[in-house]
Amino acid sequence: MMTDFFLKSVWFIPFYGLIGAVLSLPWCIGIIRRTGPKPAAYINLLMTFIAFIHSSITFSSIWGRPAEKLVFHWLKVADLDLSLTIELSPVSLGALGLVGGISLLAQLYALGYMEKDWSLARFFALMGFFEAALSGIALSDSLLLSYGLLEMLTLSSYLLVGFWYAQPLVVTAARDAFLTKRVGDIILLMGIVALSSDGAGLDFSDLVSWAQTSPLPPLSAALLGLSLIAGPTGKCAQFPLNLWLDEAMEGPNPAGIMRNSIVVSAGAYVLIKLQPVFTLSPVSSDALIFLGSVTAIGTSLMAIAQIDIKRALSHSTSAYLGLVFIAVGLGQVDIAFLLLFVHAIAKALMFMSIGAVILTTSSQNITEMGGLWRKMPATTSAFVVGSLGTLSILPLGMFWTIQRWFSGAWEIPLWLLGIVLFVNILNAINLIRIFRLVFLGSAQAKTRRAPEVPWAMALPMVILTVMTLIAPQIPLNWNLWLSPTVPLDNANLLFYQSTVPILVVSSAIACIIGFKLELRRAWSRPRQKYLRFFQDLFAYDFYIERVYEMTVVSAVMLSAKFTAWFDRYIVDGAVNLVGLATIFGGNTLKYNTSGQSQFYLLTIFIGVALIFWLVFSGQWSFIVDYWLSIVPG
Amino acid sequence: MLSALIWIPIAGAILMGLLPASWESRRCRKIALAIAFIPFIWTLWLGIQFNTLQTHLQFVEYIHWIDWLGLNYHLGVDGLSFPLIFLNSFLTVIAIWISDRSKERPRFYYSMILLLSAGAAGAFLAQDLLLFFLFYELEIIPLYFLIAIWGGERRGYAAMKFLIYTALSGILVLASFLGLVWFSGATTFDYEPLRNQNLPIELQLALLGMLLVGLFIKIPIFPFHTWLPDAHVEASTPISVLLAGVLLKLGTYGLLRFGVGFFLDAWVILAPWLAILAAISALYGAFTAIAQTDMKKVVAYSSIAHMAYILLAAAATTPLSLMAAEFQMVSHGLISALLFTLVGVVYKKTGTRDVKVLRGLLNPERGLPLTGSLMILGVMASAGIPGMVGFIAEFLVFRGAFPIFTIPTVLCIIGTGLTAVYFLLMINRVFFGRLSEQFSQIPPVAFREHLPSLALTALIFIFGIQPAWVVRWSEAQTTALIISPALQSTIIIEQKEATGNRQLGNKQAIKQQATDIS
Amino acid sequence: MVSTKRKSTQHPLEEYIQRLETGKALLKDTPENIVEVVGILKSYGVVLDAYSRNLIYISEKQFLVLFPFFKYFNGEVNPQKLLRYWWHDRINYEYAEYCMKAMFWHGGGGLDKYLDTDEFKELADRAIRARWKGNFIMLGLHKAFPEFLLEHTRQMSYYSGLGQFWRVMADIFLSLSDRYDRGEIQSIPQVVQHILDGLVTDAAKPITYSVKLAGKVYDLLPKSAGLTFLMDTGVPYVEAIFFRGTPFLGTVSYNAQEYQIPFDQAMFNYGALYADPLPIGGSGIPPTLLMQDMRHYLPDYLRKVYQSKIRKEDDVRVQICQSFQKSMFCVTTATIQGLAPHPLDTKDPEEKDVNRAYLKGWMNRFLTSRLLEVNR
Repeated sequence: MMTDFFLKSVWFIPFYGLIGAVLSLPWCIGIIRRTGPKPAAYINLLMTFIAFIHSSITFSSIWGRPAEKLVFHWLKVADLDLSLTIELSPVSLGALGLVGGISLLAQLYALGYMEKDWSLARFFALMGFFEAALSGIALSDSLLLSYGLLEMLTLSSYLLVGFWYAQPLVVTAARDAFLTKRVGDIILLMGIVALSSDGAGLDFSDLVSWAQTSPLPPLSAALLGLSLIAGPTGKCAQFPLNLWLDEAMEGPNPAGIMRNSIVVSAGAYVLIKLQPVFTLSPVSSDALIFLGSVTAIGTSLMAIAQIDIKRALSHSTSAYLGLVFIAVGLGQVDIAFLLLFVHAIAKALMFMSIGAVILTTSSQNITEMGGLWRKMPATTSAFVVGSLGTLSILPLGMFWTIQRWFSGAWEIPLWLLGIVLFVNILNAINLIRIFRLVFLGSAQAKTRRAPEVPWAMALPMVILTVMTLIAPQIPLNWNLWLSPTVPLDNANLLFYQSTVPILVVSSAIACIIGFKLELRRAWSRPRQKYLRFFQDLFAYDFYIERVYEMTVVSAVMLSAKFTAWFDRYIVDGAVNLVGLATIFGGNTLKYNTSGQSQFYLLTIFIGVALIFWLVFSGQWSFIVDYWLSIVPG
Repeated sequence: MLSALIWIPIAGAILMGLLPASWESRRCRKIALAIAFIPFIWTLWLGIQFNTLQTHLQFVEYIHWIDWLGLNYHLGVDGLSFPLIFLNSFLTVIAIWISDRSKERPRFYYSMILLLSAGAAGAFLAQDLLLFFLFYELEIIPLYFLIAIWGGERRGYAAMKFLIYTALSGILVLASFLGLVWFSGATTFDYEPLRNQNLPIELQLALLGMLLVGLFIKIPIFPFHTWLPDAHVEASTPISVLLAGVLLKLGTYGLLRFGVGFFLDAWVILAPWLAILAAISALYGAFTAIAQTDMKKVVAYSSIAHMAYILLAAAATTPLSLMAAEFQMVSHGLISALLFTLVGVVYKKTGTRDVKVLRGLLNPERGLPLTGSLMILGVMASAGIPGMVGFIAEFLVFRGAFPIFTIPTVLCIIGTGLTAVYFLLMINRVFFGRLSEQFSQIPPVAFREHLPSLALTALIFIFGIQPAWVVRWSEAQTTALIISPALQSTIIIEQKEATGNRQLGNKQAIKQQATDIS
Repeated sequence: MVSTKRKSTQHPLEEYIQRLETGKALLKDTPENIVEVVGILKSYGVVLDAYSRNLIYISEKQFLVLFPFFKYFNGEVNPQKLLRYWWHDRINYEYAEYCMKAMFWHGGGGLDKYLDTDEFKELADRAIRARWKGNFIMLGLHKAFPEFLLEHTRQMSYYSGLGQFWRVMADIFLSLSDRYDRGEIQSIPQVVQHILDGLVTDAAKPITYSVKLAGKVYDLLPKSAGLTFLMDTGVPYVEAIFFRGTPFLGTVSYNAQEYQIPFDQAMFNYGALYADPLPIGGSGIPPTLLMQDMRHYLPDYLRKVYQSKIRKEDDVRVQICQSFQKSMFCVTTATIQGLAPHPLDTKDPEEKDVNRAYLKGWMNRFLTSRLLEVNR
């Protein structure tokens, strides 16, 4: 009975975060200002904790039960029935638990990281809102609901990135983050409107059956697929909508923990749920694979040239999400889930670690650091474990995930092995480069005094370190819920058996390269011209931003300037000219230069008065009678 | 009952005029506020009495008036007009509330606002073409004075421009009405008999064309819009709120009531063109808004873009899209009122609306943090972020119009995307960053001044989360616009079928026309 | 110090050099300034008093506690205090720790040097082993990460050092306020003189630190290290907090590729004399905490001044910060006078030249500070 109650009330879980956010308002808007904002933080932590407990209980009781659905009828207009559906399944509740867990740890971490920030209440309110939207996405079985929640994510990332709104770079970063995601969202909205108009119910589970019976012409199917891809492309920071993640690193680090782990995953989660629609047209699955591959390769290259500790990691987030895109494009949804899961945990851990480094050293430039490992055990081990968790070298999360991917149960094209190798090798080099610069070597001025961070940050770091170490249990025991079972591909047995050794060996070589690499410290740059060229090319993201500036941005701005000019001189000018020529005999462009305007007004006034008089004349007694008759007494 | 909504404000206006000249502005404002509250509460009470399932007119008042002219004092309210009546009553209160407490010539000012409110209420309530027209014209005069006397620097220019445009609009509307009555041989100007007119299609097209141009000026739709930005910029904040929130709705109300209601056959023929025009207007408004540096102009051009969605939805002519058009009117009324109110607060405190000058107003100690936060919510509502009324209204518009006019709808969705662009550019410049030195000594905003924006924000959230509370008022009536009321009284399943048939019929007719044209 | 000729080019802040040479302060002597400076130093004194007690408490009683949940309670834990703590109705000791960390991070002075000596390492090791006696996990960790606990012990020494420094400063400021209330202080130079006298009196006060673990006292900063108040805590404090500071996340981008934060810490100018008061109260501005603490202890005459401004209490933290900045220029004046190679009003031309070079060194650092703004 108890479990039933918890299951039936699972829809309430997203509201915990929302309640926390709302309860923080008195501190946010300055109603309470004589005392500090910490109570808002405690409230949000408490609400998140309750949400986590609630979702853990439901997660443990969903096992062995069939997936259930809860439907809320939201709005019915004419022939359109908008209902919001949530799904109770091990996958959705597991995702919910992951959101709750990471959010709880990130908030605890924030309690330490942000302790000197007087706007703490606003930060925690936004985190609560963030968490609410993410939990909703985890549960949602309705495209409309997911879209709405994705938009709320867009809004809350805007506000979180813009948290330090007085800092100039934050201003542009928040704007770009919003607009970039918005581009994806708007195209996604077109897809949803089209899907709904073509008679599909907007529930994900209905989409499966709809996709099998849909009579869409190929062009429509292709366009539909592409438009649905656009939303997640923005959310997951995939090419060509990937730059916002780099800029979003201006925001507070605890939000960065969420953003690089579960927020990007939320986009991919929706993508995975939409996968049936992509089967309609080969174009959409090809597009997914193309975008994923370009992003995985491009952002891996960008990552190795970054000197900013946050950006060096955030680009690799895009790279791993690129792999997820490829997996979805190939229809290998289970692998996509596993990739998301192990990446989310490990990446969250790494971001916690570098947050500790930033707070202690007041710097994000890795060339200024060094020698931290002796002083910061929790931070160092978090970084090491997090890195190993994302690389396929030791038997941790990513290793087992890739092992399952290449086990022969899936049809793997050869190029995919190439891409995975590439991403793995470059990430290994990158992470070892960062590790050597930050933690090894001798201390520099800014890392000379580096006490380990206080418990509020260290504790979540240690907990997540342990979680990352036990995370491999998930890929090992994953049941492949979502995919049809495919017989082992015996024809290429040799290929599949050799992939894992190849991977491990390549990782090992990459590590050696990483350790042998010449490091540059203290703002120094390579002397060779070609090295500098490539460093700049990668460090400035292939100058994609510049390209956008010259194309999309300038096109919009030019159109805006043109229409504004057109409006002022052509439309308004023409109207004024015509209007004035007729009314005032033309040689003045001002309406109010003479008594003529008053004369004109007088005419209208008299005209209307005349009409009224005409209308009312002889009717007054009648009106009075009428009113007398309805006024009682 | 309904007369009260018209005559109480008029009586109030007269009363304001009779107040002793020595009474200070503050006191006049309080009296005007008290007067404005009466119709507001009355509207709420009517709302409780209102039967949402009925498509018939409710609370009808009918008085024979001038038989030889065919003019009767015929009032009534239905699902189409009730939400707009509510907007009018509510926003009048807001407008008086946010009026400057030291307004010059207060008696004249408040009586003009009340007169304006009466005019708008009359136009929404009228069930007689001539009566509608009278109110439609009546509302011009107070608005002219409100702009011309209490406006900004170029108030004379803006007021005259407004006057000429709307007078022209009135003439065209009147001509169309007279033609309709004349040619159909009706004996009165009453709405209901005219709905069953059977004029030849060419004539219908001519009359509808005239009507449309008249209404396009009012809404306004590109290229008849240029009076609006000037009027908004020069008008004081309360007037902008009423103008955007209520008076523009007269135009879109006319589209549904007369365009769809009276000339359905001609309407369906013109619909593809209307949809294209809507898309142009939406994109044009959005692009022009990007280049603006006056906050009020940004909101004004955004208004043009958002009003165009109503035309798009109306053009699609399905039960869903017509409901969406009505919904978008409510949504735009609330959101634009909120945005104008907030811009007004910024202007009042800082003395400027220039996006290039204002900076960092979110500063919690010396800026306008709550105003800024509400502004962020307001623009997000306008940009269609779910949870607020803008999203569901626009979603219904797009969902309603997409099956009929795919390309114009897609263009309008792009317009929605651009909303975020121009508003974010504005917000980021004005509110983010370091507070400029020149605005570091601005006075604080009192809670009293926040109250109207808070009320509007609350409604925006409530209707955004619970859209059924808007839909229930109007759905029956918007459906009745395109299905004969006789069918409505049959059982629901039959009605549904009928809806589908009519919709299908329209769809085919429109598609046919579209191919003919192209 | 190299002596320069007087005829050399005029310094942009020549006016202020002359003021100092004629015995005036960096801050203009006006009636409003004296009210603001004394009033704010009074509330600052109260806050510093609390800060210093807490820092010393933490260093002595919370030595290497991994989960110091009650470190701000000064040993007094009761339900009422706990509730107030949860309601965040308390002094923001986080700011004291922030200053301590900034000072620790920037280093400088004898305390910083001493912490790197083998002598200190040995003392610390002994204390650490005593602290974790019998706890093999922690001792193992100590072995595996040899500087982990050592670094924390160093930090503890800074807790104590800053606590002792502020102890003295709090008393100086509070006695200043008392003298003002008695009518003895009427001008800014008198304020400066009072601070200078206080600094000089305690200049040679030894800075020591020891913890008591299991009934045994372990010296960490023994008297034999010869650390003194002015040169080993005071001067590094002024350097770290008044001048350098740390970049505020709310106004400066940490993005490495933007290079907004200098590589060399000596080039940092985020300290109290440079910080912009306007963003106080916003996000990412740590000094807000200090201003918030001071708002509770404003003397009535100062509160009245603030009440008379357009926003009254609404922007009190910005106003406090503006006054605070003024008072910090007075403290800086006292420091400049105290550290001057010769009395600043000397008539000896040779001494004057030496002084001038000394003052120019200071003025160069004031170029980008808020010196002109506070005097406007």
